[in-house]
Amino acid sequence: MKLITFIILVALVTVVNAQETPIKKDSSVTVLDEVILIAVRKKKIETEMKMAVSVDEFLASSDNISFIKRGAYAWEPLLNNMSTERSTITIDGMHIFGACTDKMDPVTSYVESNNLSEIDITSGQEGSMHGATVAGSIDLKRKSTAFGLSKKWSGAYQTGFEFNNNQYFNLGNISYSSDKLVAEGSISYRKAENYYDGENNEVNHSQYDKFNTSVGIAYKTSPLSSIKVDAIFDKAKDVGFPALPMDLSLSRALITSAAYKQFFENKLIKVWDTKIYFNAVEHYMDDTTRPENLVHMDMPGWSTTYGLVSKINLKKENYASEIQLNAYDNLSIAEMRMYPQDRSERTMFAYSWPWVTTRYAGLSVNNSWDISKKSLLNFGGTFGVNYNYSKYVDFNWIFNPGASQKKTRFLPNLYTSYQLNIADFNFSVGGGYGHRAPSVSEGYGYYIYNSFDRYDYIGNPDLKNEISYEANASAGFKNNKGSIQAKINYFYIQNYIIGRILSLGSPMNYQSVGVKGYTSLDYASLFNFSLNTKYTIFKKLHWKGMLTYARGLDDNKNNLPFIRPLSYQTSLHYSFKNLGLFTSLNGDLKQINYSPEYGEDETPSYTNWNISADYTFYINNYRTVLQVGAENLFNEFYSTYADWGNIPRMGRNVFTSIKINF
Amino acid sequence: MKTLHFIVIVLFVVATSCTIDKTDFEAEISVETTEYVDFKEAASVTTGNYTISIEALNGTFYKGYNEIHLKIFNKQTGENLEDLEVNFLPILTDTNGNKVSCPHKYNLDYDTSEGYYLGYSVFTSESDASANWKLYINFIDNNQTHSVNQIISVEKQTNMNLNMTSFTGNNNEQYFIALISPQKPRVAENELVAGIYKYNQPTNVGGVFPDPSQFSYSIVQGHTLLLDPRMPEPSMGNHSSPNNKNLTQQSDSLYYGVVNYTMTGNWTLNFIFQNQDGQVIKGTEVPTDFTPGIEGAKSELYIDILF
Ligand SMILES: [Cu+2]
Repeated sequence: MKLITFIILVALVTVVNAQETPIKKDSSVTVLDEVILIAVRKKKIETEMKMAVSVDEFLASSDNISFIKRGAYAWEPLLNNMSTERSTITIDGMHIFGACTDKMDPVTSYVESNNLSEIDITSGQEGSMHGATVAGSIDLKRKSTAFGLSKKWSGAYQTGFEFNNNQYFNLGNISYSSDKLVAEGSISYRKAENYYDGENNEVNHSQYDKFNTSVGIAYKTSPLSSIKVDAIFDKAKDVGFPALPMDLSLSRALITSAAYKQFFENKLIKVWDTKIYFNAVEHYMDDTTRPENLVHMDMPGWSTTYGLVSKINLKKENYASEIQLNAYDNLSIAEMRMYPQDRSERTMFAYSWPWVTTRYAGLSVNNSWDISKKSLLNFGGTFGVNYNYSKYVDFNWIFNPGASQKKTRFLPNLYTSYQLNIADFNFSVGGGYGHRAPSVSEGYGYYIYNSFDRYDYIGNPDLKNEISYEANASAGFKNNKGSIQAKINYFYIQNYIIGRILSLGSPMNYQSVGVKGYTSLDYASLFNFSLNTKYTIFKKLHWKGMLTYARGLDDNKNNLPFIRPLSYQTSLHYSFKNLGLFTSLNGDLKQINYSPEYGEDETPSYTNWNISADYTFYINNYRTVLQVGAENLFNEFYSTYADWGNIPRMGRNVFTSIKINF
Repeated sequence: MKTLHFIVIVLFVVATSCTIDKTDFEAEISVETTEYVDFKEAASVTTGNYTISIEALNGTFYKGYNEIHLKIFNKQTGENLEDLEVNFLPILTDTNGNKVSCPHKYNLDYDTSEGYYLGYSVFTSESDASANWKLYINFIDNNQTHSVNQIISVEKQTNMNLNMTSFTGNNNEQYFIALISPQKPRVAENELVAGIYKYNQPTNVGGVFPDPSQFSYSIVQGHTLLLDPRMPEPSMGNHSSPNNKNLTQQSDSLYYGVVNYTMTGNWTLNFIFQNQDGQVIKGTEVPTDFTPGIEGAKSELYIDILF
């Protein structure tokens, strides 16, 4: 393990050294430049409403993402209304696992909007490219600067203030591009105080403080090959989680990788891209900020991952294929130490993740075949092997006597889809089949307190693979005035893993009411529907609308938890010369299909009205955008179906920001 | 460039070094428990040509259950004496001269494979200025009885997992329960082993001291010890564990059960002691509710442990 750290360190230093050598102009580099330029992502991490969004806010603009919110920070993204165990979340294909047993740190909390270029969301089994999944995959794409840009130096600086929670932020990024060398870096700092809800009450413990920085250096080793090393360092401290009985005192992540890319000219193989990576996450919770807690408890967690991603792209005539090898090794550790009221007494200690190793290796193939100009067939799959090992298996044996300490699972994933375009219409149908292994908590968790239903959760190492059968379809129409697109998908999930009340054992955590064990339901089913429309009313005025609906049922036809009720979003965008105006209305209808069994109650409907205005001007030829706006203009008091413990959301929030590009 | 080097290296050192050290779990458990596996000589007596060596774990007699290994050596012939009749009797004398004993094995059996006489003694108190323990040992070699006695020191039991309790049952008999294993429990399923003994009231007037009929103890046969382990600390709210098994007697006369400890710390083993007919001799049921902030109620028969 130390060895790999060392190798990455050496690689970084080597590249840094390489920059010192004089760079010779090379005229035969155009091929590589062209290919790399294609890969340059034009998208930006911003929404029409707000240019200085957090990663979470950006994700929220997608129609198949919803969030469980435990406060103002680090929202847990739900893809197709399924929690993070059922999706794979990666950064440039790299696997990272949060170190918090209470899901305070989804992977999305370790990046910042100014080091990302876009977020790739793939629904269902098509997302199995990066690893076994049920819901799909979310791949956070890092910014990557092309070689040999005409503008050697470029960058952006953004600052702003949000009035509701006194949040200020400073985001800066810079890049250097020459024919042989690319260097880029970003730095950001956000700090927010408690926010106020729609009744102007302060929501205690909702502050946060986040620092994030990244560096990337790429060096062209030949006209057709390059190496690249990347690192992200993220540090969050003093983060409040109003919905939980404890806060975060410190969380740090180091995410590093070294990649080699080789292009091929006039061959079947176009690109071979290989990357080794290492990331380490540490997470320290703190409950001393909560005087109402009679028991003080330390709950540190660590997660370390080493991995490899190697990918080749093949293309011949109307056929393209992508073959990817994925392998990683993760060690997750979480401890709990309780302090007795009489501090001279002995503390009490247990592991909530008893040193759980997860190893995964999977080979994926993605094929795309242009059958004709009108139709396209995508098909592919992954064959993966998943291995788990629990070092202190004694903990698991208390509730599961004789459970396996080592467990190997085979995880196949398959999908196919057919797309057809006829004139202005497009249609697609698809299907998928796939397995996933239980997560560390589901398999090996030990007295993990869930403050939503107030149960302590116990994992079971011998849970069966969750097996998903999936069908999806879409239909759309598009012309130069507007578009409409409807999508549906249906998941039938065998051995659906969920917590069920155990009759044995008694709770350990102070606020807990009982013990639940992760068990498999015979099956559960999930249905998602979305409708997206766009219309250009006249040249400068655009309208957009979005409608989503979902329903999830268990094998007794009871509702599954965290399924979004009917939700809508409608927005108007008007631009005139350098001025842009935006207004939107979004909300959820009443949550009728809630799940009392899993701690949910009926959530009333809500509507938010938002407005913003931006103005673009130039300071010394530097393009500058100034924006002001307000979210929840009516100052509506509300909480959504997925707000942990029904904590109220933020009330009216006036925001301002300015961005300078140079 | 040098600064970039520096930054890269610092970044690595910062992030690969943790702010809080991970707990060393083995060390964590060892804080409160010492495990002794080696028998060493705890006392020796010489009489005539004979040397008697008494071995106990760690070469020390502790309050609670002590397995005794006894060897008799003939200095003249240089041989270990096997298969003799050997009697073993521990006696506690207080400042007033009152003499009592404790659960013990009176007739020691010779273990041929191990080469010693095997017995046990459950010392009910520690030696101190006001009370001393003395071992009375008889053996018959060549039809001649040899009697020796030796003052020993019984030390405080430092490992709470080897605690003992003595009590008077509802039937007015005097009982003793001594924990034998595990010495070093784990956060796991642990096999729990205890010895259960009873004082036999003398039926006749005592003869010449030490008259074994006045100091008779026996192993309780075929009873059951119902087990309910709980964490008494108020912050633990009467926390318990699943999958525990009551203690029943096995072929070696000791009582075996299963206790699960869900975390390290203070635990109370709450017992209900029942005879063959299921009648309660001692012990009360404890509440099973989760009551955060309130110290857990204990059975009237319990042993506290700590690890
Ligand atoms: Cu946490």
